[in-house]
Amino acid sequence: MKLLIVEDDRSLSRSINDYLKMEGHLCEVALTFADATEKASLNKYDCIILDIGLPDGNGLDLIREMKANRMTGGILILSAKSSLDDKLVGLKIGADDYLTKPFHFAELSARINSIFRRNNFLGLNEIAFNEIRINTEDNQVHVNENLLTLTKKEYDLLLFFMANRNRIITKESIVEHLWGDNVILTDSFDFVYTHVKNLRKKIVSANGRNYIKCIYGFGYKFIDS
Amino acid sequence: MVAGAALLYFTIKKVIYRQVDNSLLTEKTIIEDQIKQTDTIPDFEATFGHQIEVKLLTYHVRSYQSIKDTDIYDPNSDSFIPFRYIYYSSNTIEKKGFIITIFQTISEKNELLQDIGLYMFFLFFSLLLISILINYLIARRLWKPFYESVKIAGKFDIQSDTPLNLPGTDINEFNQLNEVFNNMTRKMRIDYLNLKEFSENASHEIQTPLAVIRSKADLLMQQKNLNKDSINLVKSINEATTRLFKLNQGLLLISKIENQVFHEKKLVSMKRIAEFGLDNYREIMQLKKIHVEIDAIDEAMIEMNEVLAEVMISNLLSNAVRFNIDGGFIKCHIDNKYIIFTNTGLPISADPEDLFKRFHKNSNNPQSVGLGLSIVRKIAESYGMVVTYSCHGTIHELKLKYR
Repeated sequence: MKLLIVEDDRSLSRSINDYLKMEGHLCEVALTFADATEKASLNKYDCIILDIGLPDGNGLDLIREMKANRMTGGILILSAKSSLDDKLVGLKIGADDYLTKPFHFAELSARINSIFRRNNFLGLNEIAFNEIRINTEDNQVHVNENLLTLTKKEYDLLLFFMANRNRIITKESIVEHLWGDNVILTDSFDFVYTHVKNLRKKIVSANGRNYIKCIYGFGYKFIDS
Repeated sequence: MVAGAALLYFTIKKVIYRQVDNSLLTEKTIIEDQIKQTDTIPDFEATFGHQIEVKLLTYHVRSYQSIKDTDIYDPNSDSFIPFRYIYYSSNTIEKKGFIITIFQTISEKNELLQDIGLYMFFLFFSLLLISILINYLIARRLWKPFYESVKIAGKFDIQSDTPLNLPGTDINEFNQLNEVFNNMTRKMRIDYLNLKEFSENASHEIQTPLAVIRSKADLLMQQKNLNKDSINLVKSINEATTRLFKLNQGLLLISKIENQVFHEKKLVSMKRIAEFGLDNYREIMQLKKIHVEIDAIDEAMIEMNEVLAEVMISNLLSNAVRFNIDGGFIKCHIDNKYIIFTNTGLPISADPEDLFKRFHKNSNNPQSVGLGLSIVRKIAESYGMVVTYSCHGTIHELKLKYR
């Protein structure tokens, strides 16, 4: 996927760039509003990761401009301000999603994947990975053609793993992904453990392989082996 | 006033007595003169209606005079009647003694005195009432601007959008006072707004560096061949970042509530939000084997911001889940006045009020940032709701009263 990262903080934009490159995306970075406008008008990106608070302009204006010029590609707003108004305005004028800083890369990945899925696989809402097939339209998961009965949280967890294959996912990011970041649950790591255990058990009992590995000290990794 | 009335009463009494005494003395002198001139007992018919007794003696008496009060029994009215009498003894030129005793009833005078006293009492009393009334009316008029200012100042809320604006009055002193108050609160408000803005800005500015730290830790984590020590370091960084993030997020939320960012209101069903929240925690509650009972009598439609309603209920629920014991219960009662969460948990020794304070730490849960309930209270307060906590041993109850 070709992505444009619009973020004025050099250090952060470099991190995002590094991480998304590891995910196998093609990335470009714009540090200013002017730079971003120029890049967006010259190239076609699958998704733009856009910080709203830029030193020389408001990111929301870039969205308006893109939509006015009928440019395709998803837009993921990245903002320090989790202000509801910004979020509503952003989504209203055409952004696909909204992520508040600080975020987990796993979350960013999951959001980009979800935007990409929505924009590019119209009618083809299926994620296939070896023997696992996930239909995101009707939220059904098949392993070796066996239908898995997953709870909502287990299903979300599986999608989260899918979006972050071969990456370490921390328990914190799983908690935030599953329960939202407004939820304050400090002892929820045990529940992550249980959810992962149940998901793994369900996949294995449908003759799937055990892809989820526990990583000491951090969390989990969904590995293709 | 009372002293004045008493003084007046006694003065009048004294005057009356003096008058009575004078008349007694005058009469005595007349009689004495007659006796001395004529040596006979005069004809008393012509006197002033006094009871006069004159005794002529054959011997010489010591000259003596006294005026006293006495009561004499009156068989007609079967009562004692007060009299003033003069007792006078002297000698004629022929050295023969005589005694004059003149009685004068003073019951009429006493009645007069009583009447005067009574009238005086009424007069004074009505005077008192009138003066109080006048005083009150004047004070009310005079202090009216003061009380108006007090009323306005009493309603002043530093968090509200409007500055204190005490009106001008006709009275200079009050004008000065109002001016001082206006200036003082204006300055207070500016300081408060600055502080509020500062804390919101600070919270926002912290987000980006926090994102940098988190992203770097994420990247570091993904590196292969990390040894155990490095893993522990990254893990600690991750935990601290998450904590800082939660803390900052909580503070930001509080400052946003104060800044009334969430001003959009609509009718939200507490029942629906509570059910949604319980659903979100369902798996966790199953794992902890917590029994859930929801007893919703009413939809409980409340006009408030939906996001805040969700945060509030979610925080209350997370509290009930987090501090619950394995195999405990959560009961959620909803009607059109209250929403009550009752749950089992370890007994707590802290003062219930402390639980709502920011950064209150629970010894059972050192990881908690201690903002959950203070956020609940902040939201509740911004809608005029009241949230109270009570605890009976291991049963904890959080009650939210809508209005």
